[in-house]
Amino acid sequence: MSSYYQMCEGLPGRESWLNFNLMCEKLPDLLKGVPLTIELVSISLLAGLFLALGIAMMRLSDNRLLNGFSRGYVFYFRGSPLLVQVFLLYYGLGQFEFVQQSFLWPFLREAYWCGILALTLNTGAYTAEIIRGGLQSVPYGQIESARAMGMSGLLLYRRIIFPIAFRQALPAYGNEMILMVKGTSLVSIITLMEITGIAKQIIAKYWTPVEIFLIAGLLYLVLNFLVTQLVKYLEIKFTPYLQHPK
Amino acid sequence: MANTLEIKHLVKSFGDLEVIKDVSLTANQGDVICIIGSSGSGKSTLLRCINLLETPNSGEVWVNGELIKMGQDKKGQPCPTDHQQVDRIRTKLAMVFQSFNLWSHMTVLQNVIEAPVHVQKINKIEATKLGLELLTKVGITEKADQYPSNLSGGQQQRVAIARALAVKPDILLFDEPTSSLDPELVGEVLKVMKSLAEEGRTMIVVTHEMGFAKEVASKVIFLHQGRIEEQGSPSEIFNSPKSERLKQFLASNLEG
Repeated sequence: MSSYYQMCEGLPGRESWLNFNLMCEKLPDLLKGVPLTIELVSISLLAGLFLALGIAMMRLSDNRLLNGFSRGYVFYFRGSPLLVQVFLLYYGLGQFEFVQQSFLWPFLREAYWCGILALTLNTGAYTAEIIRGGLQSVPYGQIESARAMGMSGLLLYRRIIFPIAFRQALPAYGNEMILMVKGTSLVSIITLMEITGIAKQIIAKYWTPVEIFLIAGLLYLVLNFLVTQLVKYLEIKFTPYLQHPK
Repeated sequence: MANTLEIKHLVKSFGDLEVIKDVSLTANQGDVICIIGSSGSGKSTLLRCINLLETPNSGEVWVNGELIKMGQDKKGQPCPTDHQQVDRIRTKLAMVFQSFNLWSHMTVLQNVIEAPVHVQKINKIEATKLGLELLTKVGITEKADQYPSNLSGGQQQRVAIARALAVKPDILLFDEPTSSLDPELVGEVLKVMKSLAEEGRTMIVVTHEMGFAKEVASKVIFLHQGRIEEQGSPSEIFNSPKSERLKQFLASNLEG
């Protein structure tokens, strides 16, 4: 590690148009934020996916109450800023006596869980709409031919409807994953030390916003490059018939 | 012995519009019944009532001597009471659609073995063997690992026929199987259908292909405004039509 810092010493410092020396030196600190960013994204995407499945099924049900609830849910969480949702959860929940006394309080008083909750609720709303779109775009003829072959209920969903809907929804869901990677930067505002949180801490000390945010931005780019590759791989694997020959 | 298929006094309406008005028909083992008529005459609806893709308002459908049990739902609408019975009978009544309706996310072979493996619980190796045999039969073995979207319409429809045969049905239902095909592709599908008829399979075919009906059918039914206007052997229907409407229909469909 010391040889790494020695290498950084050799780079142009404050006298240059960019303080490369500092950028190089602080890169390892910023990298320490990457695991938390990945953790926040993965947990909230996974939990959000299950939440979204429920919300989407409610939205497609004939029950007015369930349907109304899911409409309201999506309207609120898609219509208001994620940052506002984070603030409301972090500062708002603690105001209620019953929340403070509930068994959930040990979790909800932690910024970490509030951040995950906000991200989950937010992605749940967007993903619910993606799933609804996927389910509704399954060609009716393909459902009908499955029925005509004796499929119904869960078997019909498992073998025909969900697989087709998943394939239809994949590009849109890739978008949502990318938005979530970037969305995690907002929870730095409630003291979470992910990439952006660490960046702001370093900037407060050295007052070099351009240098540090450049690196932070670069790290998000790398993460999203990986997400893009993952989605591309899934698309080739699951929808080979939609790939245009080069 | 029970008739393979028997329909008694079937009535179907969409809202106030009565599409099928008291239709009865019987198919015995090996019958090829062609249903003809102008569009809107109710031919497709009648066919779709047989496997309950449309729920008849009243009337009875008997398959191999077994009555499909009907009742009413909470809103008083007619509906089948035993869904397991419907699923089971549907595999006895395989259907080929006008727009093929192959499952886009599965390869040709996967389409063919899907119902045998997951509905009829047949061993996958056995089903694959049967599937490949059926693909050979419809002349499309070399496309087994392709996806439906890479196939021509005629090829897709032949795969759909193989898929229908895979559940070893007692009756094949064809809903205008050549109507969405380019003219030069119609022949290959009709050829396969003709070979099935020659094997002695029971088939109910809704079609606009008068040539096919003439050549292959054991019985032709002319449907007009939801009623059987006239029925008989192909020669009776095509050579000596009695009703004025059938004469008009044939005149406009046989020219050229």
